[in-house]
Amino acid sequence: MTLREAAIDLDTPAPVRSRQHAVTLGRVALAALLLLAWKLSAEMAGPLYVADPIKVVQRIVADTLSGSLLRDTYVTLRLSAIGFALGCGLGIALPFLLRRLPRLTAAVEPYIMASVGIPKYALVPLFILWFGIDDAPKLWLVGLLVFYVVFIAVFAGIRSVDRGLIDMARVAGAAEAAIAREVIWNSLLPFFFAALKIALPRAVSAAIIGEFLVGNEGLGYLIEHSRQNFDTVGVFAGIVVATALVLAINALLVTVDRRVNAWRPTDRHMQV
Amino acid sequence: MEEPLLEIRGLAKRFAKRYRREPAPWVIQDLTFSVSEGEFLTIIGPSGAGKTTLLNIIAQIDVASGGEVRFQSQCAPIDDPKALQPGLACRIGYVTQDDHLLPWRTTLQNVLFPLTVQGRLNAETRTRAEMLIRTAGLGGFENHYPHELSGGMRKRAALIRTLVYNPPVILMDEPFGALDAQTRTQLQEDLLRLWNLGKKTIIFVTHDIAEAIALGDRTLVLSRQPSRIAGKHAITIPRPRDVRGIMTHPEFGALYQRIRAQLQ
Amino acid sequence: MTTLGGRSTIGRSDLWHRIARSLRACGDQILVLVVLVAIWQVLSMTLGSYWVGSPWGVATRFVAGIGDGTLLHQASYTVIEAAAGFVLGALPAVALPFALRRLPIATAILDPFMVGGYGAPKLALAPLFILWFGIGIESKIVLVSVTVFFIVYFSAQAGICALDVALVRMAQVMGATERHVARHIVFPGAVPYVFAGLRLAMPYAIGGAIIAELISANRGLGYLIQFGAMNFDTTGIFVALVATTCIVFIGNWSVNAVERRLLRWRPVSDVTLQAGT
Repeated sequence: MTLREAAIDLDTPAPVRSRQHAVTLGRVALAALLLLAWKLSAEMAGPLYVADPIKVVQRIVADTLSGSLLRDTYVTLRLSAIGFALGCGLGIALPFLLRRLPRLTAAVEPYIMASVGIPKYALVPLFILWFGIDDAPKLWLVGLLVFYVVFIAVFAGIRSVDRGLIDMARVAGAAEAAIAREVIWNSLLPFFFAALKIALPRAVSAAIIGEFLVGNEGLGYLIEHSRQNFDTVGVFAGIVVATALVLAINALLVTVDRRVNAWRPTDRHMQV
Repeated sequence: MEEPLLEIRGLAKRFAKRYRREPAPWVIQDLTFSVSEGEFLTIIGPSGAGKTTLLNIIAQIDVASGGEVRFQSQCAPIDDPKALQPGLACRIGYVTQDDHLLPWRTTLQNVLFPLTVQGRLNAETRTRAEMLIRTAGLGGFENHYPHELSGGMRKRAALIRTLVYNPPVILMDEPFGALDAQTRTQLQEDLLRLWNLGKKTIIFVTHDIAEAIALGDRTLVLSRQPSRIAGKHAITIPRPRDVRGIMTHPEFGALYQRIRAQLQ
Repeated sequence: MTTLGGRSTIGRSDLWHRIARSLRACGDQILVLVVLVAIWQVLSMTLGSYWVGSPWGVATRFVAGIGDGTLLHQASYTVIEAAAGFVLGALPAVALPFALRRLPIATAILDPFMVGGYGAPKLALAPLFILWFGIGIESKIVLVSVTVFFIVYFSAQAGICALDVALVRMAQVMGATERHVARHIVFPGAVPYVFAGLRLAMPYAIGGAIIAELISANRGLGYLIQFGAMNFDTTGIFVALVATTCIVFIGNWSVNAVERRLLRWRPVSDVTLQAGT
């Protein structure tokens, strides 16, 4: 046993059942504590600043029953989905296209990388000016954000494809399209999935924030509109629903990810 | 004075297997030997004989399952993980197989590290450290980071890092194992030269019989698991030793054969 | 270029090839820039500078804005919001894993909450913070710090977990106490990871400040963007956008510069080194 192994051996506590129970208990206790703190701060700070948790729950239930919450959620999700599809499609297609034009790629790459530095949210007023006050500016926002995430990942993924595999496929007589489909796409799948895990929740967040700035429907609109009316319960309700939505999508992606990769034992997954 | 500096009596060690029914095999069982002050003791054993484990226990980094370790006639706590004192209050130095130099410290800073944490860093100790660096052939590399040094240089740095604070006993775990033959011979010579400066007690573990004979006053042979002392050999080759030409010494051949026979 | 006992015989022409290629790449990039600006100019002439502003107009307004200080003045608000929020978020994010280092149960208990906080859209809280702290810089600072906190927390946690216990043992053998270990081994080892997190969080800090300003503010570059939009002043919008991008670059460059200075000891194969900005 080396020094390191002996040290790890002595330092790591045994995963005893009682420790796991303690951890679970601690988590429940912390959650309860946070809820209690919420309730107390609602009482101390007043209804303008902190909405009472019970009222928030009541509002969520009421809005769900009346259908307005479902409507808002649907609007936001639809926005996210369309924007995601657009950004994702372009983010996948463009790197494949650029692959065939290496000189153009080299010329354009620094500008693409530089444009990553522009905060896309800052472009929304410009989009509103250009595209009006309906869904268009929000779609552009979501699409751009998703595009950058997917593009960079697919671009890097294509770059990292084993040249040997491509050469082998060429020698075996595969056409360019077949190579793209078989070798490159499969090689970059891990990168792509890692990007999806980031892009999907980000699409929903972007839709919500876009709705802060423009529009009259959706979860983001609900939150911001409530704020402008000093309807703190509405603000809290909207935030709770929005957060739950994004966390649910995250959890879903993690589960899907595990399933999809379960039967791919050799698939290395990039930790981003 | 007759009392040995370090005594190991009936040492036993087996690793706790956490999830299996059968008890783990004994790595070390009924190991007994002693080390006198100022002695250079080499220990040879086949791979997996628990040599590193033995050193870990002596250095108070790992617990034993039984037996005694007496240092300067005092019993060291070796059965309770919480009572362990790594290095036994800086009285036992340990040069491990991996150099474990701190990557964010320069060579000089690494050598000064033990002095810093022991609160003994002053002008005098600093000068001594710098002298040691030069003696070890690292002069000019004081401000280099470990990743800029070669393997041999890192070993030297790790070695003088332990020498700089003068622990009475130094454990060395195959420190030159991962190096090429040339560098290894050079470092063996350097080690003997540095040992001569201060006549410390050294326990040097190796799997190389020639190295054990070249360096030690005495060699212990460990058996396979469960390890115990299979033999003790006094190295009668007089000092100063010619490390490069040790194999040509008339007594080398017989010693080598005897030791090798015990290793089978 | 491998050499066999001396200089490579094919090295020289290969070197020329490489120089020629990089010159051509440079030329290509400049060409692309010229083309982009030309397209912009054409658009502004055909569609009118109302829609897209003109390159020249934006450039002159940008320089004028710096000259008379107004642009810098507005930019300073955004920078303060981003920087203050960055520090206020990063410090506890580094301190917490450090403090809980010896209490793995506490870290385990906190973990789902931290993951939830990381996954939740912090920017969605912007209206809440504006409700609480008003439309001044305080609400923006709070938003940025919350965003930065969760990002840096995980990086700092990774840095603490990456601790090489062998180094700790070595230090203990040489007489190091718990405090020595924390100061000399845990902390320096975690710094590269923390910087990876800081690099990651930097664009979020500036982006968060801008977004909050877009929603509601009376100062800052985001405010300038909204102001330009409300007055149909496209040139003004572009000037503010260029200024924003400049700040992002300066922010990235600063973090990288500090990192390079502090982490000269890193070996080339270090896992925390990232390519890119």
